[in-house]
Amino acid sequence: MNYLPEGVVQQILSQLKNARDVASSTCVSKQWQSCVPYIPSLFFSRAAFDYSPRGNHQRFDYDDTIGRMVEAALRLEELVIYCPFNPSNLGKWLIPQGNTLRVLELRMDGFGDKPGPDGTGTQLDCIHVAKQLEQLKIWGVSLTTAPKWGVLRKLKNLEIVGATLRDGVLEEAVHAFPNLVSLVLLSCDGVGLVKFELEWLERCRLDFLGHGSIALFLSTPRLEELNVQGFSSIWVKPNHRLRTLSIAKTHGRVYNVEMGKLAEVESLYLRGIQWSWGAISSVLQNATDITQLTMKVEFCGNSETLLPFPEVDLVNFFNSHPKLQKFEIHGAMFASLCQKNSLANVNSNFVIPSLEEVSVIVRSPLNAEQKLNTLESLVMHSPKLQKMVIRVSQMKNCNEAADDFFEEVCKFQFMNQRIVCIE
Amino acid sequence: MARSSTENMITLMSSDGEEFMVTEKVARECTTIRNMLEDDCVITNIPLPNVTSDILSMVIEYCMEHVAAAEKAAAETAEKGSSSAPAAAKANKDLEEWDKAFMNVDVYTLCDLILAANYLNVSGLLDLTIQTAANLIKGKSPEQIRKTFHIQNDLSLEEEEKIRSQTPWAFEKSE
Repeated sequence: MNYLPEGVVQQILSQLKNARDVASSTCVSKQWQSCVPYIPSLFFSRAAFDYSPRGNHQRFDYDDTIGRMVEAALRLEELVIYCPFNPSNLGKWLIPQGNTLRVLELRMDGFGDKPGPDGTGTQLDCIHVAKQLEQLKIWGVSLTTAPKWGVLRKLKNLEIVGATLRDGVLEEAVHAFPNLVSLVLLSCDGVGLVKFELEWLERCRLDFLGHGSIALFLSTPRLEELNVQGFSSIWVKPNHRLRTLSIAKTHGRVYNVEMGKLAEVESLYLRGIQWSWGAISSVLQNATDITQLTMKVEFCGNSETLLPFPEVDLVNFFNSHPKLQKFEIHGAMFASLCQKNSLANVNSNFVIPSLEEVSVIVRSPLNAEQKLNTLESLVMHSPKLQKMVIRVSQMKNCNEAADDFFEEVCKFQFMNQRIVCIE
Repeated sequence: MARSSTENMITLMSSDGEEFMVTEKVARECTTIRNMLEDDCVITNIPLPNVTSDILSMVIEYCMEHVAAAEKAAAETAEKGSSSAPAAAKANKDLEEWDKAFMNVDVYTLCDLILAANYLNVSGLLDLTIQTAANLIKGKSPEQIRKTFHIQNDLSLEEEEKIRSQTPWAFEKSE
């Protein structure tokens, strides 16, 4: 390899980013030493310093090394620090790289809102020097005061995972990124209201913790993909372009969803313990052209009391969602869909035109006959049906009724072997 | 796109005088040759004084495989109107596997291939060989890197000591 020209060695070394590999490459030969500063990425893994002769116990031992390596880089584009570091040094490291840095990823270990090195603002304020930044990802940050980030126009992707927040801080912080295309906030905690106005946002994923009720307001005219967890009230300005929508809430209740027309939504996913029927029916009625629907909601009701679902007219339901291809439905909701038994009395010309795949979770043998009738009708009226999966799980009353029901389901499966399977 | 059935053949001549007949389409995978052909379209014989016959035959093998894969994908698209995503994904995966097997060479050959890919400007092959070489560096100590790539250490003892003292943790032996 002695005979490879510098440009080629440069290209090879530029594929490296792990700090350890970069450090090793520095003392291979003079040629390699002169190529290393042009490596565009530096990645300090969580365990980067695990073999440190200075031991693993003192928290800020590593800052000198990170500082030296970052300082040696001549055109750093990507900096990822997962190992412990002192956030007060960040500014010192970032300033010389401000004109080239495009990707910054930091693991803060609960820091972030302490005052900066000069005693003012916060430790994260210094990110504003990276004017070319396109992607920012921060893990485990404390954001109880909004960092002063000015305006970073190039930033397209923001991801914050595991943040402690205060109301209003997020809005102020995100204000620095008027051209965001993708926003991901995961395992965030500490707010009752989240409100964004982002003109260019296309993808948004929000996962908030807490049992309390959190309200979400979005004004995002280019939004195509929305995936939210943990909100009890959701309002999206109706000028969006949503194609994929997923709303979940693992604790507490979803009582209000207002998004206007959902005519372009193809994939819809609803999950939670309790949803008000108003919220469910508003989403379903607006999402007329869905091709994929997953409904895993356990109970209905507008108050603390957990109520069963109202009866649903299945014929109307399928008539108003003619493009539905893939349908997954959970126990309680399936049970109430069966109640009305409207499919049993429909004339033989009725078809569910697009349905190809159905997945049903059955959890109780109650109204076994209606459930079986519904399953049979689904098979009978869906000419394109290729697959029906029946999941019999956590059958509560393990008595004769359950056994009989299971036997019937098995018979049904036997008669429709090519389509139906039981899991 | 319709293609004439009698495709132009080009002769490539290696540094050690061996001749390789390839279709123009395969030759065009090398940007350097493509530029020559575009400058002077009657050219049929190209000497490549920087590439030995062993390496040239490997470069041609790579180009032929990738041209064939692209033609197959184009034919499938033309036949069905659109290419099916799973079939395309499988074809990609097959080609990746082929690339991986193709990279099963000693480090001298790898370096020669990098030089040839660089000189002939075959971007796919250059990316592949560069990445393969980079993967050989990962997780190694400076000594192991030198041994792997047969690199002479031209740093003086003092220089090396100085570099090591900058990032001492990186040179501790991992258990």
